[in-house]
Amino acid sequence: MKTSNESGVGNAINRVEGHLKVMGKAKYASEFPVPNKVYGQGINSTIAKGEIIGIDTSAAEKVKGVLKIITYKNAEKLKGYDQEMPFISTDTIAPVLQSNKVHYFGEYVGFVVAETFEQAQYAARLVKFEYKEDPKPTINFDKSRNKAFKPSEKSDYSRGDFKKGMSEADEVVTQTYNTPIEHHHPMELHATIASWNNGKVLVYASQQIVEDASIAISGTFQIPNEDVRVIAAFVGGGFGSKLNLDRHVIMALMASKMIGKPVQATVTRHQMFTNTNMRQQNEQIMSIGAKRDGTLTALSHETLSHTSIKEIFQEPCGMVSKMLYNVPNNLVTARLMPMNLQAPFAMRAPGEATGSFALESAMDEMAWKLKMDPVEFRVKNDTQHDLHANKPFSSRLLVECLRIGADKFGWENRKSEPGTNKNGNWLIGYGVSAASRNSPYKKTYAKVILKLEKDKVNVTIQMDATDIGTGSYTIIAQTASEYLRIPIDQITVELGDSDFPPTPGSGGSWGAASFCNGVQSACENAVSKLKKNRNIKNSEEVALADLLKRNQLTSFEAEGMAEPSDAFSKHSVFSFGANFAEVWVDKDTGMYKIKRMVNVASAGKILNPKTAYGQIIGGITMGAGMVIAEQSKIEPNFGNFITRSFADYHVPVNLDMANVDVIFLPEEDKIANKMGIKGIGELGITSVAASIANAIFNATGKRMRDLPITPEKLIEAGLEPGVKI
Amino acid sequence: MRPFTYTASTNKEAALRAFTTTSHYLGGGTNLVDLMKEDVARPDQLIDVNNLEYNEIVKNDKGGFTLGALLSNAATANNKDVRQNYPLLSMAMLSAATAQIRNMATNGGNLLQRTRCPYFFETSMPCNKRAPGSGCGALKGMNATHAIFGYSQKCIATNPSDMCVALAAIGATVEVQKQDGSSRMIDFNDFHRLPEDQPEKDNTLNQGELITAIHLNEPAFSDHYYYLKIRERSSYAFALISVAAGMQIKNGTISKIGLAMGGVAHKPWKLTEAEAFLTGKSASQANFEEAAMIAMKAAKPFEANKYKVDMGEKAIVRALTQAYERKY
Repeated sequence: MKTSNESGVGNAINRVEGHLKVMGKAKYASEFPVPNKVYGQGINSTIAKGEIIGIDTSAAEKVKGVLKIITYKNAEKLKGYDQEMPFISTDTIAPVLQSNKVHYFGEYVGFVVAETFEQAQYAARLVKFEYKEDPKPTINFDKSRNKAFKPSEKSDYSRGDFKKGMSEADEVVTQTYNTPIEHHHPMELHATIASWNNGKVLVYASQQIVEDASIAISGTFQIPNEDVRVIAAFVGGGFGSKLNLDRHVIMALMASKMIGKPVQATVTRHQMFTNTNMRQQNEQIMSIGAKRDGTLTALSHETLSHTSIKEIFQEPCGMVSKMLYNVPNNLVTARLMPMNLQAPFAMRAPGEATGSFALESAMDEMAWKLKMDPVEFRVKNDTQHDLHANKPFSSRLLVECLRIGADKFGWENRKSEPGTNKNGNWLIGYGVSAASRNSPYKKTYAKVILKLEKDKVNVTIQMDATDIGTGSYTIIAQTASEYLRIPIDQITVELGDSDFPPTPGSGGSWGAASFCNGVQSACENAVSKLKKNRNIKNSEEVALADLLKRNQLTSFEAEGMAEPSDAFSKHSVFSFGANFAEVWVDKDTGMYKIKRMVNVASAGKILNPKTAYGQIIGGITMGAGMVIAEQSKIEPNFGNFITRSFADYHVPVNLDMANVDVIFLPEEDKIANKMGIKGIGELGITSVAASIANAIFNATGKRMRDLPITPEKLIEAGLEPGVKI
Repeated sequence: MRPFTYTASTNKEAALRAFTTTSHYLGGGTNLVDLMKEDVARPDQLIDVNNLEYNEIVKNDKGGFTLGALLSNAATANNKDVRQNYPLLSMAMLSAATAQIRNMATNGGNLLQRTRCPYFFETSMPCNKRAPGSGCGALKGMNATHAIFGYSQKCIATNPSDMCVALAAIGATVEVQKQDGSSRMIDFNDFHRLPEDQPEKDNTLNQGELITAIHLNEPAFSDHYYYLKIRERSSYAFALISVAAGMQIKNGTISKIGLAMGGVAHKPWKLTEAEAFLTGKSASQANFEEAAMIAMKAAKPFEANKYKVDMGEKAIVRALTQAYERKY
């Protein structure tokens, strides 16, 4: 039989759901035409710490169409945390409106439900809260240092003897790198339509993991999980902000239960600064010791961050420093300070995105001190063994990424002395950085439904996986096309419904590998069962339609499951990459342009080069955003974010973006999983910031250690000691 | 949003008559509607003036051109007469906001856009401009983007417009219709005001007055001009510092100059002393540098916006140099 796999795995086909999206037929959470739905609007606190001592709802109640105003006074009692300061996860409960205590500026203190969106918005503004304000909220990073604590025993790690390693070094670098609070800001505002109907819950919500959302809902309301159905058919970006259940979903459900109607709630862009996760500020102190020949002797990575008053989230910034280089003496620590801010949570390659900025900047500083080429310095310290996990890497093509990238980029044209490459008012610099990102793989189920219609088999794949703009629909369809050997136009993929077979959802770069191996298993099971029934050898190729006919079936269903193998657990599984950047800095104004970038990615089997390319350039844009302008600023006297919208929270615009070349190294990592897939979603952002900051140093001789690198910071920065311009 | 009434006016008399103390005229709405959503602007009535006839560009009796107040920023910046005669204005206008906003925003509205001070936007924080008497949150708060010239203890906000910086350099007169049906002319440099004790007043318009036209001075800077905008990203960002520079140069000597700065004061900041210094002098790097020092001499920055003094000096020199060398 001839395989028809122009639409199979590895082909750069267009998105299967693309047409639906451009036609406006792909339904996002708030777009489902649920009958009788009404609208809810959350109200935010306007103090950072204190108590509500009075609530006046009289003006709001008079607004036409207002159905319900919920505050802590009349809210349903929900399940609270079982312990003080729990570690929050993707399925953590989300209690809300449970007391008169205010823990941070912008915390939900009320929820207004009305017939229309406009009525709810207006009435929410009219509810008056009187506060007894605590005059000393903890909102200043620097002044909170005495509150720092070690979040868990696992927060600290060491191998060898760090101090000894530093004493053996010929050169040392010790520097502090700062990254600010950032917000995820997916284009789709977090939204829900929540219905409570005779104890059964149906929630349309923008969530990355529907399974965990349903667990969080049933846990918060203390109802059986089988009574909760969560649907997230299309999600307009997540970046970590939709991993866990946000509290607007709980408020909408609570309201639906009270008034007996479905309640739609959309978080506003402004509320997305305070109610849908964030990345916290990190202060990372790096120390590196190296021999004159570039051999690393010691590396430490100590991170100070903040968490909320009530919950713990620790971004593993030091992860990358444990495993990226062959360094015998290693120390990684993390400390957190409770602050009157919302709980931070996973954002855009948590750990790697920020950690790689610190590590790869420090590596560049060391290369400069050693007068060594930054590419050669990294290559020299490569390792095929993960010294932290004490396991071999399943595959690691970091050196190849660096070498091929250097070649494509024209790295040999780099001038090693800063300030020597000029063009008019521009100072030109080249920068490099290495990238690594953990590539998790999780147990996944999938169902395949075959229907024989006029000699053609139409296939439906069902799983509760999500497509958060990444291309899940497409790569799942390609996988089914590949393993059922039918054209893609006969395949329908149905995702994002918690009634479908469970998957780990989208996040942490585990989606593609987990989903596709699950689908592969379901397809393989379908074919092998149909063959077995008719005693057809597995090696014999029979077209799917013929298989059904020989079974005298017009329809057939099979499930499949994929999970990590023993080999997987005996290896350290990471994706790797390298970033090269050319940056032009204006010698006077502090403005700069990222002229071009080359990214080389080694991320296992590339399922669809088109969607994979989208993932990488999206990541690179976010990495550029970290450097150029992204930061959420806290008002020091009031504790609110003064960045309120996309007008003040600057993300890169098209004009900021460079010409980006992405090169995928051909690779199939069969240890990672059967299909050889590794994670790619977060690899793209990793270490981009460092490559640009390193290029700025190469251009100007100014070492920029605080992100973002804005014109005002560049203009005020002095030359690095030793730089002669 | 709070409820309000909306009236679309078809003639100026009706628009002027409808105006009450709690009304706002509605042009492009790109700033006003945002402020209404933020609960900062709370008009009871919007009088949509977009159907009025002030949407042409015509020659005026000063030897220049007159911009209709209701013409969009995009149409103005891309107009052939404006591009030929006032390339500085065109350049400044095209550096502002985004293509979408420029398509909607009107010229009259651009003159009236309000500050981007974060204290002005957050209704729970003090701001004398939004809530007179509540205090200035920025004075002892976050003021990295705030004024270094002409501020008061009541307000340290800046005017965010790019167009207005170019207008200050070029010179213009603003024509407004009064509610009694008569009109009056306001010199552009008197149109915006310093905050003093009344930061709630951005400009010298009286209640109900409607901007109908901007009369530009005779074109002088079509050979040597530059608008330099220093900002955090390449578009859709307000200026940290901007400089509008226009020069008329004869045999290497500056015969006429227009120089103004944005991002530094409550109004577009015309650099009068630097202009006077450069007039009649040779267009040399040394003179540009001295002019920049003169211009920034009176700056009184806060700790967080000290950078603006250095950045401002460099920006003036760069803008003048680019204008002189005609590097566009």
